[in-house]
Amino acid sequence: MKFLFYLILVLLLVPLQTTLLPHLSVWSIKPDLGFVAAALVGIFAGELEGLLVGLAIGWVLNLFSAGELWLSLLTNGGVGILAGFLGRQLTLVTSISLGVGLLLVSLASGLFAAVSFTHLDMSQMWWMVESIALPQACFDGAVGAGLYWLLSQWFHVTRLRTE
Amino acid sequence: MAHSRSPYSARRIALACFALLLVALFLLPNQIQGLLQYLDGPVGHVVGVPLEAIASIDASIANRWERYVALQGVQEENQQLRKEIEWLRGQHSQLREFSAATERLTALLQFKEQALPTMVAAQVIGRDATNRYRAIILNKGESDGIKPDMGVVTPAGVVGRVVKTTGASSVVLLVTDPSNSIPGLIQRTRDEGIVEGTQQGMARLKYIPLLSTLRDGDRVVTSGLVGGFPRGLVIGTITNIDKQEGALFQSAELMPEVDVGRVEEVLVIQMSYGQSTKAGAEADVIGKPSP
Repeated sequence: MKFLFYLILVLLLVPLQTTLLPHLSVWSIKPDLGFVAAALVGIFAGELEGLLVGLAIGWVLNLFSAGELWLSLLTNGGVGILAGFLGRQLTLVTSISLGVGLLLVSLASGLFAAVSFTHLDMSQMWWMVESIALPQACFDGAVGAGLYWLLSQWFHVTRLRTE
Repeated sequence: MAHSRSPYSARRIALACFALLLVALFLLPNQIQGLLQYLDGPVGHVVGVPLEAIASIDASIANRWERYVALQGVQEENQQLRKEIEWLRGQHSQLREFSAATERLTALLQFKEQALPTMVAAQVIGRDATNRYRAIILNKGESDGIKPDMGVVTPAGVVGRVVKTTGASSVVLLVTDPSNSIPGLIQRTRDEGIVEGTQQGMARLKYIPLLSTLRDGDRVVTSGLVGGFPRGLVIGTITNIDKQEGALFQSAELMPEVDVGRVEEVLVIQMSYGQSTKAGAEADVIGKPSP
């Protein structure tokens, strides 16, 4: 049952991210739903599932991106495992704390991506951080916080996390 | 305070998996990529089903919107287009004369006739999954004969080149992406350079010889030397020239001929000039010369 849920999640993320989200993008920046989904799975299901689902999301989304595979695997798998660890260490995860956490991790991964672009000079790298990584991190944080808040309205999230 | 829901072994397994992945990605990046490539085709087919379904719904909504709702200012646009047609008719008749003259001269010089490039028509079904690249996703992939490095165009000009394929889809890096480079040629002066995208969503022709007499409004076309493009496809028009003192080359900003943000259908160049067209003739192939 869980496997089926994860399979549907991964399958639906691709059209959402590539076809529908570009219509909702602000200044051509859209949130990374795969990143947010991996973090939420990590929070609710633990580090191992967070890692595996994150890796699956990273790989499948990378099939529909011009980006490097290793970066996608590292970012999505990393956020899944990190969210799993944090979810286990913290008793109370609120939508605000999750949003801020996602913002910071997304910003870190954006910085890492900018540094990994070897053909960019310093000014271009700064432009990439300022115009892509930072707005996307804000977007990811907001979407993650919003989704967690929605889930907390429908389900008893603390019980969901400890099950 | 820690939850006790996650067993200690799961945590260790997760950490071990991640550490192993990190090591493998850094030590054997090509092998990992090669291993996953075997799965790319079938997984691409499976993921392509919901993607195409949602893309077709999205396209039909967009179509209805354009047909019935977004009709403001159509009359002015219509008048402007009529004027443009008149002007283009004049140009067309002039070009026919030039074409006839070229044919006569070609026959005179006994040039070998070149094969026309074969192209596959494809639909744009999405945009890059990340924000870091300017890329589009097409609904045709490996099973339609599309391979990385093939050129992608519209009748107006160059769109980009294929960088990744799965069974049923392919990713095209747009001409406006900074990591894309296409060999270009200034049509009037015949000076060559490399066209790269800019962060502002335009393009730039780099490495133009210092003695080149280029000017604003000059057209830049593909040079056909490297890559999946035949010679003479329009890339863009020069809008600004950058000639710095002491520099070895000059560069120029280009306005891309194709509005890559709104492109919906494209043609993928399967075989360039001079190559066999046998393989391309099997499928959904359009043998159409580029403008």
